[in-house]
Amino acid sequence: MRNSPWRQYAANAGGALALAAFLSLATSLEARAAADGPTIRLFPTTVIEDIRQTGFVAQEMETGLQDVISRLDQQQELFLQSKCDGAENDPGCDQIARQLGDTYMEMLTVMGDLLPDMEHAVNGTRASLEKRLRTEIGNKMSPWTMQETLLGNRPDGTAKVEPRLRGRSGLRLSERFRQYHDLVAHNAGGSDDSLAVVAADIYLDMSEASDLIARTQQEISRATLMGQLNQSFGLITPEMQQVVSGVKSILFGDPDAAAVVAGPPVDDDDGVYRSPLEM
Amino acid sequence: MITKLRFSALLKLLPVAAVLTLGACTSTPDLVCNGPSSNNIEVAIGQAKTAMREGCATYFDDYFADLMHIAEGDPKPENKRAFSDFLMWASDEGILNKRQAQTWYNRYFAVKFVSLMGDYNNCSSTCPRRDDVMARMEIELKHKEQGLMRVSGDKSGYYRADRLLQEAELVLAATCSACEQGT
Repeated sequence: MRNSPWRQYAANAGGALALAAFLSLATSLEARAAADGPTIRLFPTTVIEDIRQTGFVAQEMETGLQDVISRLDQQQELFLQSKCDGAENDPGCDQIARQLGDTYMEMLTVMGDLLPDMEHAVNGTRASLEKRLRTEIGNKMSPWTMQETLLGNRPDGTAKVEPRLRGRSGLRLSERFRQYHDLVAHNAGGSDDSLAVVAADIYLDMSEASDLIARTQQEISRATLMGQLNQSFGLITPEMQQVVSGVKSILFGDPDAAAVVAGPPVDDDDGVYRSPLEM
Repeated sequence: MITKLRFSALLKLLPVAAVLTLGACTSTPDLVCNGPSSNNIEVAIGQAKTAMREGCATYFDDYFADLMHIAEGDPKPENKRAFSDFLMWASDEGILNKRQAQTWYNRYFAVKFVSLMGDYNNCSSTCPRRDDVMARMEIELKHKEQGLMRVSGDKSGYYRADRLLQEAELVLAATCSACEQGT
């Protein structure tokens, strides 16, 4: 199932939802950048505008998929309650199966319709972040200054008390971006160090999303054809069920998934010895 | 494990002993480099200094390792100062140069990574050897675990170093990918 097109749709749907969180994140970043007078400019207006645009597209996709998935849920439940699983040649079950197939195809269509816009937006955000990362961290910083930036440029070496996200966590994308938003919006004392991590995380996510979108588009024709074939036989395949579950878990969350966000470090640095040898 | 006479030192002394034995007329006493015998870090540092003053400075690395091991038996924040003073003494004595002393100290007792240093920018200096840098940082984190956590009892410092490593890995992954796309 690894290469199932639905798996990829699911991933794209997750990316879309995740990007929706950027709507408010973009505003916060802009406000913070203005307030802090950043020494590194990872989120200039152009990047924020790209993010904002991507957020709009993502929100559309999320809305469209929520509706169709909700109907899929209801039809699936009806299918199971009617004990249609395995019941062949039952006219009632065939009808439910056909409805399920129709909704399934509708979901494909929604994804197919929105993917080009999504691709454009994601690639735009990725390209602008790529340029900023290359310029601000790749070309302007030495590895040592990068460390200092990540530690918060605190000459005494004390820790920040704000929590920061672990980079490539196992979190669902939307949850990760919600936490980005919380991090940026609710930590007034934040600075470039957090932004460097956020920028890196977003960039890597965008790269991944971009790859997935490209692969999804390649698969969409095949998936549509498969769906049509299945529909014509009135069958609800396990693959379809699994894919719908995957999309749901990404869109609406997996209650069993544990958050992988590091808590704030213990701020017990008062009176810590500083050696004259310390660099 | 601390021993009265470190095995590595004994091995190193074998050629010296052989030469001294063969040279019947010599009056130079055998050089025996004992490891520190005390479990009190201050006393042990004194013993190490004495031994190094008396000709065992070549084995600085071994003495440092022995002292770290002894200090693990009584972890406390003051140990940072003790080791800082010891390294500065070594620098003053000419056993280490200033840069080496800094490197030793920072490798074990500071949050930042000496493995991630360089005067040139990340695209040109770090990215081409990113895997190597990350591997070195992983090793350095083990040293920091010993120095910050087990010797100094500085959990917070160690966790920050651990976090810094992970964030550096993430930021470098993104940055190096961006650098690569720009070439």
